[in-house]
Amino acid sequence: MSDIALVREKAWQEFEQTGLPTTRQEEWKYTSLARISSVLGEAWWKEAAASDIDQATVDAYAIPEFDAYRIVFADGRLQSVTSGFPDGVTLNSLSELLEKDTQKAATALQWNVQAPLFNAANAANSALARDGVCLCIAEGVVLDKPLYILHIASNPGATHLRHGLWLGKHAEAHVIEHYAGDSAEAGLTHAITLVHLADGASLTHDRLQTESLHQFHLGRLDVAQKRNSRFISHAAALGASLSRLDIAVALDEAGAECTLNGLYALAGRQHCDHHTQIDHIAPHCTSREHYRGILDGRAHGVFNGKVVIHKDASGTDSKQSNANLLLSDKAEIDAKPELVIDHDDVQAAHGCTVGQLDENQLFYLKSRGLSDEQARQILTRAFADTVLTGMHSSAVRRFIEQAAFAKLPGEIASEIADELNTAAVPE
Amino acid sequence: MLKIDDLHVAVDGKEILKGIDLHIGAGEVHAIMGPNGSGKSTLANVIAGRDGYEITAGSIRFHNNDLLEMNPEERAWAGVFLAFQYPVEIPGVNNVYLLKAGLNARRKAAGLSELDAIEFMQLVREKARLVELDDAFLSRGVNEGFSGGEKKRNEIFQMAVLEPTLAILDETDSGLDIDALRVVAKGVNALRSAERSIVMVTHYQRLLDYIEPDAVHVLADGRILKSGDKHLALELEKRGYDWVREEANV
Repeated sequence: MSDIALVREKAWQEFEQTGLPTTRQEEWKYTSLARISSVLGEAWWKEAAASDIDQATVDAYAIPEFDAYRIVFADGRLQSVTSGFPDGVTLNSLSELLEKDTQKAATALQWNVQAPLFNAANAANSALARDGVCLCIAEGVVLDKPLYILHIASNPGATHLRHGLWLGKHAEAHVIEHYAGDSAEAGLTHAITLVHLADGASLTHDRLQTESLHQFHLGRLDVAQKRNSRFISHAAALGASLSRLDIAVALDEAGAECTLNGLYALAGRQHCDHHTQIDHIAPHCTSREHYRGILDGRAHGVFNGKVVIHKDASGTDSKQSNANLLLSDKAEIDAKPELVIDHDDVQAAHGCTVGQLDENQLFYLKSRGLSDEQARQILTRAFADTVLTGMHSSAVRRFIEQAAFAKLPGEIASEIADELNTAAVPE
Repeated sequence: MLKIDDLHVAVDGKEILKGIDLHIGAGEVHAIMGPNGSGKSTLANVIAGRDGYEITAGSIRFHNNDLLEMNPEERAWAGVFLAFQYPVEIPGVNNVYLLKAGLNARRKAAGLSELDAIEFMQLVREKARLVELDDAFLSRGVNEGFSGGEKKRNEIFQMAVLEPTLAILDETDSGLDIDALRVVAKGVNALRSAERSIVMVTHYQRLLDYIEPDAVHVLADGRILKSGDKHLALELEKRGYDWVREEANV
């Protein structure tokens, strides 16, 4: 039996014994996964049927005018991949590795019996994942264009994806994971991404979730950072009926820095949960976290941001904030910043706000001739933009903004979308 | 141009304005002076259409339209402009963008075509020079991180760009040092014209040294107790407000 077969078996046993997390567990208090099995059935984990999608379909979902290496998956299976990567960059699909090089799959995707399963939902992924991306970048190599990973969900059933991003010393890359779809039938997308950054490596990671409003989405991003490495994450959760993203960053060695930014824009009865944990294990590491949420209708948001400063982490510098804008009195947010400090010599700040649009700001804009709707859109957009301004790619940022504002009341004119904040003074 | 008749306004059931009569003709500059809490800012806010005020009696007509029936943006389109006592900071909303949206909304309401980007930037640059506002301020968030004086200059700058027919300056002079006051006054004077009326709400006579009013009104206890010309302001400066109250038997 290969290593991976062993891991799969062990993970499956774990999953069968424990089942999905329930709201009795603190970490899942506000997010019930019971709806997944009630909608998809007891065998909710069963794979979605394969689909074959054409180029026009891919283009319809993809970020427009975005120059990137592109790898596309449809219902959990590799569809197409661009070629021409520079020397020192290897990109394999997991399905390819499972046929040709299980040892590499076991290493790069941390598929070994010692690796943590995180929880029973993730255990199902370990047991069942059949495809994903394995990106390895050699020491000192810079990926010249972003890598755009696009997944399109069309069929009912579950999809278990597993990605590994390995950057050698001083390697650099920008990777975008995008989960899309607009199926009228419910399905589950479950994606785990494991990131390893060696000394001085730098990864910019954007994670976009624009799935169908019938879809369930479970995601996990697990990052291990070595000395002086940098990780910059932007997570945008806009789609799915129920979504949960767990991000765990371990600042393992001195000088590592991470930035976690996120935006959730929810409407209708959407439920969206972000749980993040940053572990300051080594001294002199820096973390910045800024999440913002816009909630309309009867949407329910959950944000739990945990920062743990371990006993050896002297000189830690950590800041975290979470702000929420409620556009409806039926929308709800459960926000909880958590700070656990086992060391004195640290700088740590966190804060959390929940509010409505500011009446004084609204009146000011209207007194200058902007309509009520226009004023509300502009203020809402300005609120969201705060967490998007640092994004590396303007094409990705514009895509997120348009997707986010299209679903809020009174679709924002694209003219406004283009001008605000970028209305530089021409010379 | 502006006709306020027997205006009564209450806030949370408490009457603040108790029958204001004020007529302002085209091209005139009126100063409204009075002690703290007399209702000056209430009057300015009611003309601009801010929420939270209950009009219990009376009318405001502007160019023969019922102003009280219009929402704030419709008033702006009709040519009303309020320079705020406390200009609001709006991070993330670009100063120039706001002006462009506001100006084009007004032009659209008047049946005019929108200005193109080049025409608009020429206009904005010219007006920024008028109040000695550095170009760097144009692309910043609205009032974001501006000093008190910069905020007030920004209000006059906005007024210069939007070219209202009725401008209400709500304590635009408060918190300004003498240099800033001169700059603001220069901006206001440059905008005086036969078509534009200006209402200045102020505590102090000081502003009127720089912007000479056609009429001065004393607002106290929710009523206009006395009206006169610029000499009334000088007298108030010397004698305070109590004698006006006594004279009016309040």
